[in-house]
Amino acid sequence: MRNVLVIAGKDLRQRLRDRSALVIGLVAPIAIAALMSAAFRGAETFHFTLGVADVDHGPLATALVDVLHQDGLAGVLTTTPLADPAAARAAVRDKKVGAALVVPQGFSAAAASGHPEALTVVTDVDNATAGSITSAIASSFVAQLDADRLSVATALAAGAPASEAARLQALAATLRIPLRTVDRPLGASELAAVSYYSPAMAIFFLLFMIAFTSRSYFVDRDQGMIERIRAAPVRPGAIVLGKALSVFVYGVVSLGVIAVVTSAAFGADWGDPLGAAVLCLALVVSVVALTTLVITLARTQRQAEGIASIVVFGLALLGGNFVFLSAAPPIMRTLALATPNGWALRGLTDLATVGGGLGTVALPVAAILGFSAVVGLVSGWLATKAVTR
Amino acid sequence: MGEDLLRCDGLRRTFGGRVAVDDVSLHVAAGEIYGLLGPNGAGKTTTIKMICGLLDPDAGSVSVGGRSVERELAVRMLIGYVPQDVALYPDLTARENLGFLGRLYHLRGRELSARVDEALELTDLQSRGGDRVDSFSGGMKRRLNIAAGLLHHPRLLVLDEPTVGVDPQSRHAILERVAEFRRRGMAVLYTTHYMEEAERVCDRVGIIDHGRLIAEGTRRELVDRLGQKDRIELSAEGDLDALAAACRSVAGVEAASVSDGAVQIVVGDGRRLLPEVIEAAEHAGVPVRSVDVVEPDLEAVFLHLTGTALRE
Repeated sequence: MRNVLVIAGKDLRQRLRDRSALVIGLVAPIAIAALMSAAFRGAETFHFTLGVADVDHGPLATALVDVLHQDGLAGVLTTTPLADPAAARAAVRDKKVGAALVVPQGFSAAAASGHPEALTVVTDVDNATAGSITSAIASSFVAQLDADRLSVATALAAGAPASEAARLQALAATLRIPLRTVDRPLGASELAAVSYYSPAMAIFFLLFMIAFTSRSYFVDRDQGMIERIRAAPVRPGAIVLGKALSVFVYGVVSLGVIAVVTSAAFGADWGDPLGAAVLCLALVVSVVALTTLVITLARTQRQAEGIASIVVFGLALLGGNFVFLSAAPPIMRTLALATPNGWALRGLTDLATVGGGLGTVALPVAAILGFSAVVGLVSGWLATKAVTR
Repeated sequence: MGEDLLRCDGLRRTFGGRVAVDDVSLHVAAGEIYGLLGPNGAGKTTTIKMICGLLDPDAGSVSVGGRSVERELAVRMLIGYVPQDVALYPDLTARENLGFLGRLYHLRGRELSARVDEALELTDLQSRGGDRVDSFSGGMKRRLNIAAGLLHHPRLLVLDEPTVGVDPQSRHAILERVAEFRRRGMAVLYTTHYMEEAERVCDRVGIIDHGRLIAEGTRRELVDRLGQKDRIELSAEGDLDALAAACRSVAGVEAASVSDGAVQIVVGDGRRLLPEVIEAAEHAGVPVRSVDVVEPDLEAVFLHLTGTALRE
């Protein structure tokens, strides 16, 4: 064990002396997390101004405007009154509003007749989302209106006196099932971009340890240092364990510093510290296992660099280090669960949104450790095969 | 010489179907420098790696201080290994490199610090201990490479071609140090393909070619196999025939004649008989201006044994 510590200490000293390692381990993840958070700020929420041209001024138009002003929509849109359809089209064309809704003259009166007037949604080709939301609100309102009209018509057809129509209309309105739309699980809070990209970038650059360490192993070997160490009273396993320990310490420190800095400086939410710490430790174990795999697969420094690059970028792409996994296609979300970084990101985002602690990360930690065990076994098998070859 | 410190018996090692070392047996005593001489690819490095425990032999055994190298990890405390290529971390200082390697040999604290100082002093690098190795010249790196093998005071020092690629001054310094190690009672196994180095520093030489140890002994013993004699060449003023006659009277001188303005003397061992020849010249009253002892060298021995010149 003493030799393991000596080798790990030497490796860490070299790593700390290497400025590029410090940049990749600490500076780059923090800087890129900050940049990506700034770039995606606003992408996690959507808000637009809706122009409303109420030419009708009748009770249904008032009811529609009330719908637009309800609390549930306050985070999505703000209304601004417009004089008429022409003003609505001009406002959309001039980008003063994201979309416009025109309530035509006689809309309320016509709703009770057999020839209702249509609501018009004016959309901007550059703001399709605003148009879609406005269309959805209008469609929902009209569908409800049609349901009310159908129920009144049914009552009248069943023999209710026509004088009761207004009362039946009001009664139908009170019988609506209230609907509230939420875009996240119950009890969850919204995930800010910085809370996603801070761990995503920290993990991405942690994966570079695979390339750094496997390269350093082959540099040591080519310099004759592995042989020189083996000539000392040192068991062969101590060399690998020493290097693994240095990766572990460096990885844990790197993730810890990035978590503290991004939390303090940018307000990133890494969730419960204990849960996040356990998750990070498990992730670093997987990085150690992957490093061992690359070393056993490669024969030369160049091969090690090539294999490590494929592993690092493959894992980062599949694991969702570059894009919000929640916005990715289902196949990507499934593939991410085949990677330790994908599980780590899932665990960290769960901690930041759902909350909880060790219980929240139990499954991701188990998955990452399982992945590490499989990779470790394969590495051991390959190493044994290489020795006996 | 002391008792045998290193014993190799019947070492054999193959790589695939190629036999790299075949039935090599040798022994080195404390206070002895043993030169393993052979061309590149002869099996010197493979033999050394088996001696240092870096390669397991397919057959045969290695013991140092009576303990098996293959079975006991602790035996490596007795061995100082200096690899052929400089094996040091270029981004660490000389002191950091030595400190790291010293810790692997269980040195700690003040003892480690003292050993590092001692190794740096022994290799004339004490003023450069705090400098990074990548700022060193080739010769300095070679010396530090040797210093790293001495830290733990090994009883057997294994030097694998330590002077390859170094300037004459550094080579001289390294050979001086090797002679110093012998005086300290260390057993030294020294591989080289430079004949003059083997002749200069080694007490005994083993000649290895195509993986087999084809001859072994002191330089004298190896030369004697050739059946060639030494020659002493005396340049003098005065009666050269009288000088030749005086030299012929010295026991051990087989022939003496005048040729090209000098006296040519054929003897068995030129260096040993030289003082008596000079004394005979003084008695003859012929002042000697210069003396040259011409000996058959190991190059000739190698040529005789292998049929080829030593390949660089």
